[in-house]
Amino acid sequence: MHLFTRFGVSAMLAVSFMISGCTPRNKGDTGNTFQTYQPSKVKGLDPIYADDLYSGTEVGRVYEGLLQYHYLKRPFVLVPNLAEAMPELSADGRSYTFKLKKGVLFQDDASFKETQGKGREMTAEDVVYSFKRLADPKLVSTGWWIFEGKIEGLDEWRDSAKAGAPDYSKPVSGLQAVDRYTIKITLKTRSAQFLYALAMPFTSVVAREAVEHYGKEFLNHPVGTGPFRIAEYDRNSRLVWVRNPTYRTELYPSDGEAGDKEAGLLEDAGKPLPLVDRVVVQIFEESQPQWLSFLSGRLDATGIPKDNYGEAIGGNKDLTPDLVKKGIRLYKNPGIDVAHTTFNMKDPLLGKNKLLRQALSIAYDVKPYIELFFNGRAIPAEGPIPPGVSGYDPDFKNPYREHNLAKAKELLAKAGYPDGKGLPPLEYVTTSNSTSRQATEFLQKTFAAVGVQLKVTTYSWPEFQAAVKSARGQLWSFAWNADYPDAENFLQLFYSKNASPGPNDSNYSNPEFDKLYEKSLTLLDGPERTELYRQMARMVAEDCPWIFELHRSIFSLVQPWLKNYKRHAFEHNTAKYLRVDPALKK
Amino acid sequence: MFVYLVRKLIGTIPTVFGVALIVFILFNMVGGDPTYQMLGKHATAQQIAELRHELGFDQPKYLQFLQFLKQIVTFDFGRSYATKQQISTMILDGITPSLTLTIPAFFFTTLISVLIGLLVAYFRGRIVDKLTVVLCVFGMSVPVLAYILFSQYFLAYKFGLFPIAGYDPEWPDRLVYVALPILISVLVSVGYDVRFYRTAILEETGQDYVRTARAKGLSEPRTYLKHVLKNSMVPILTNLVMEIPLLVLGAFLLESFFGIPGLGGITINAVHNSDFPVIKAMSVFMSLLYILGNLLTDITYTLVDPRVSFK
Repeated sequence: MHLFTRFGVSAMLAVSFMISGCTPRNKGDTGNTFQTYQPSKVKGLDPIYADDLYSGTEVGRVYEGLLQYHYLKRPFVLVPNLAEAMPELSADGRSYTFKLKKGVLFQDDASFKETQGKGREMTAEDVVYSFKRLADPKLVSTGWWIFEGKIEGLDEWRDSAKAGAPDYSKPVSGLQAVDRYTIKITLKTRSAQFLYALAMPFTSVVAREAVEHYGKEFLNHPVGTGPFRIAEYDRNSRLVWVRNPTYRTELYPSDGEAGDKEAGLLEDAGKPLPLVDRVVVQIFEESQPQWLSFLSGRLDATGIPKDNYGEAIGGNKDLTPDLVKKGIRLYKNPGIDVAHTTFNMKDPLLGKNKLLRQALSIAYDVKPYIELFFNGRAIPAEGPIPPGVSGYDPDFKNPYREHNLAKAKELLAKAGYPDGKGLPPLEYVTTSNSTSRQATEFLQKTFAAVGVQLKVTTYSWPEFQAAVKSARGQLWSFAWNADYPDAENFLQLFYSKNASPGPNDSNYSNPEFDKLYEKSLTLLDGPERTELYRQMARMVAEDCPWIFELHRSIFSLVQPWLKNYKRHAFEHNTAKYLRVDPALKK
Repeated sequence: MFVYLVRKLIGTIPTVFGVALIVFILFNMVGGDPTYQMLGKHATAQQIAELRHELGFDQPKYLQFLQFLKQIVTFDFGRSYATKQQISTMILDGITPSLTLTIPAFFFTTLISVLIGLLVAYFRGRIVDKLTVVLCVFGMSVPVLAYILFSQYFLAYKFGLFPIAGYDPEWPDRLVYVALPILISVLVSVGYDVRFYRTAILEETGQDYVRTARAKGLSEPRTYLKHVLKNSMVPILTNLVMEIPLLVLGAFLLESFFGIPGLGGITINAVHNSDFPVIKAMSVFMSLLYILGNLLTDITYTLVDPRVSFK
């Protein structure tokens, strides 16, 4: 019997060690590979559904739009991508005329039957087709909002398509392929934000042949004009991109912002892109394997998981000596976001009592919250607009965001609830994960200090979303990441026409605010618009539909062999600029 | 046997109907609204209403349920709301990685557990038995997460014996990636299984036929292997066959930590995303597997116990 038992154990261990002793094959790896990760499964590779950061990043490797962000310049600035130059704007500010680059080829693919699988040239008709596809109601794109109500005739085209099959040959007055390389886009009214839409993955240019050839499976067969093409695709586990051999000549930028040259970010200026041969993307849904892979050199860059913060960052908020010894670099960048606790303004108690909202806002102490939940990687928010976005006012101090219990109690008394007496427990809705539970306990403790009790209702994520969208509950916490670097993207969260189930989930409604917001939409970037943005920010700070909590800071760690790294909050196609130094990698 | 099988299969219809009804009611009560997920954060009330209409959510509930039943009969659940992928392809893609992990783990766990079970039953009440039971209880008490974190850190990262995470669909490379999850899975399961098999075997060692076998002069190993083991097979088989559906479902935590693209992760993501078509498909698929597992148990009983027949 002993023999049998020993055999069983040894057989299993032997097989385990035998197979683990084999080295996983790095098929096609020339050493010039950028190794990266995604913290979530990739939904698919169809641009019109790329509404999350992860899908957007992967879509950005293979597809391109008319515009892109300059990789190095800050504040963020748009530059041409498939367009030859920035568009000409008509005198009335409504029409943009783009000249397209000539000789841009779609990647070779079996769907190009007329050219026997060779990728054909991208033209203005492809741009029109791709934009109509985004508007196609049958496809239920998550990106329609960027065009909705903006392009002349496109909403009407969409409405007519709802009744029957969408007719892509039907012209749209605001989308004209003037000739093979010229496209004219006419807007209903002037929009300062419109051009940002043309740098988002949603507006990437696709080939009609590929869409029709693959049908519903198009999302698994990307055929773009970008620097990489897919070589291995398992959306749940690993994606491997390889250099696109038919990619046009695009060069590494020759200028950046102050300090870029000294940081070595202009060493590859003028070199053709992409600089790496392959991009290997591993899906890590848990932080431990992500962190250990980085430490063992199998990831070239990473964020710092909350649980590993102490291993990476010392008391002085710099890298620990162990990581410094390995040559790892630390980058700190502001996140273009705002985390907040929302008051449901439809609620008869909170919605009608501004003093109560102000009291709760002033009772909330964000500093310990930032230390406890973000390891100090955030700054307190004074209003809805984060730093790095035009309209942000560094001098503005929100009078209801200084933590002051005495003042909070005074306001509470004025609101009709001295020491919280007479105030029923407020219903706080939240999700059921452990971080949310801990954050809820923090909030309960904070409000208890002024005598306000919370009644907590926990939901699964889908239920929580449904609760917020249908304005159930009295308050909840959320965060908003910017879609583009314009304060309008944050201020629209208070526009009454965006109320639930739209993005204004506090259901804040202020005609004065709406008037300013609508006026700001017609203005281009300049002092007048900035002043309007600031007025609106001060208005919501006074009305307190949210407790403005914090703007996150993003800490990234980068291996010594990865060159040209500079975090970009909006550009999805940054892998093409990265370079790997194989000598350092060894 | 044929008549028995047909009768059993017909008997599954109300079970599947019941599962479908429960899933449908639960989803409609607590499943959230998938349209919010599908349309993204900028969706307007009009778009939500249009999509709800498109998906048939504004139809009476009984019609929606009938549609669900039709999907079960045709086994065509369409596409995932969240990923737009064909659900049958998602399931087929997920099964192989799950089975690559769970089948070897199941095989080694069973082999080791039965052998240890026999051994400790043989040494009942002695130090080997007591120590094994203590170790089993200890092994069962340690959470699976602790095994994963510890093994991934030391065996994979520190000692480099295994890859930290990842998966390769090609053979034999995929074995490299599933080796550590298999080892963890065996360690996690072996404690419970040894205790279960020990009890089942001990039940038999006190029987008259064991005394007779010994009286006939059979050696102890022969008595245990030829008589005791065979007669302990009914509870052992019941336990084993009921585990088969779970093999297909995979092991969510292991898949998640080791980056294995199995069905466990697909199912959890579907729940998280309110992805009703995937939830429906997986619930029906799992219930059918359970029913099949039960049927298989009944059949295997007749193989190990001649007293059981298909009447």
